[in-house]
Amino acid sequence: MAVALHAPRVNNNDDIVQVIAFRVGVGDFVKQGDIVLDVETDKAIVEVAAENDGYVLKLMCEVDDKVAVGSILLWQGETADEPVPETPVAAAVAAGGNVRPTAKARALLKELGLDAGAVPASSERLSLADVEAYIAAHGIQRRDHTPAVTVSAQESLPDVPGQLVDLNAEERGMLITVSWHRDHAAATYLEVEYDPKDWEAHAAAYAAENKLMLSPLLPLLAYRYVQLVKASPRLNATVVNGKRFQYQPVNLGFTVQAGETLYLTVVRDADTLDTKPFIENLGEVQRHALQRKLSREETSGATIAFSSMARWNVSRHIPILPPYCSLMIAHAAPKGSGRAVLGASYDHRVLSGFDVARLLMELAKPPV
Amino acid sequence: MNLDRDAIKAAVRAKVIELAKNLGMDASDIGDDDLIPATGYVDSAAILELVVWYEDAYQMPLKQEEINIDNLGSINSMTEFVIKRKGG
Repeated sequence: MAVALHAPRVNNNDDIVQVIAFRVGVGDFVKQGDIVLDVETDKAIVEVAAENDGYVLKLMCEVDDKVAVGSILLWQGETADEPVPETPVAAAVAAGGNVRPTAKARALLKELGLDAGAVPASSERLSLADVEAYIAAHGIQRRDHTPAVTVSAQESLPDVPGQLVDLNAEERGMLITVSWHRDHAAATYLEVEYDPKDWEAHAAAYAAENKLMLSPLLPLLAYRYVQLVKASPRLNATVVNGKRFQYQPVNLGFTVQAGETLYLTVVRDADTLDTKPFIENLGEVQRHALQRKLSREETSGATIAFSSMARWNVSRHIPILPPYCSLMIAHAAPKGSGRAVLGASYDHRVLSGFDVARLLMELAKPPV
Repeated sequence: MNLDRDAIKAAVRAKVIELAKNLGMDASDIGDDDLIPATGYVDSAAILELVVWYEDAYQMPLKQEEINIDNLGSINSMTEFVIKRKGG
């Protein structure tokens, strides 16, 4: 299947990059990591590397074209003659970003509360694909599969001087999460304490064997969690319209604090990965979060979730369940206490305390 | 972007000290060959911030498998890795 290489975000303030050189042509075979073209912004020239092995099937722009961040630069395939999906050509960004949006683009802009003028267009009309490229590049989530927020519009204002301020995309996302937790889930919490020494020794041995820069303790805990959920599919479910909805994949949500923003990043199909690729995938989405380059796939669809506040030295935190997620593990490890805590917020419509306590006790021990 | 060896070392050192300071630690005595994750000055989240800064500062996207002790474990190794990758 053909895969696309997208225009990268070079810095936070530039939504457009200019293609200044191609280093490959149609029919060339390139390996992941090979430099395939150079792009330029007002501040820098950047080499763009292939994200996959494959033959170059089609170039979607030309040298000197200015293209929107997130738009498709070229297509690659496993063979040189694979068909290329029909997509808009990336080139020829309209100056100023003030072109008229299509109906679908306008609907999405309205859904997200975005101004059409802020979104670069790839043609004479601002298209749905333009808006989707923009929100992917900015890590903005769509809300199309989340329940309506049941925030009353009739609340009276506080009897103290002040003003109403619109929420940004991340704040709206948190409001939706909290509202789902409040209005839909029968959210409950329990926790177990454990001696962290065995897990720390397991993580240290893994780090030394693989020469890792970052401690793999939390990724290994998260991986063990995924494996335990895979073995007990009942843990990977939600309730919709009075029926149990059993998820097929295990998509792990993992919280990442990036500056002031808390993201729930997602490793999809985590149950199909071995330990090393899982840790690499998790590392990749964490980096994307810090770079504000999360794709929609990396910020949606969590079926279970994990959050650690060990860094902040808290002794307990009780997570809010994201929409349609019945289980979120909370990890804490107060410094100097010689103990650690595994807690869980869970939806009691789906899981019992016994289900969750058994999981936590298993998770407290590293795999043999 | 300054690819002078001493300038890279100074920039990496300054970033490590800044990240450690955010965690209430003084890393000003860190040695060029000290293993950064083993110093205790920065935790994993801060090391991730260091890696993301490094990629951005030297316009050098890293593959996940390149983020290891051999390439990025110390101020010296981070310095040499940039120079090697940039063909210096």
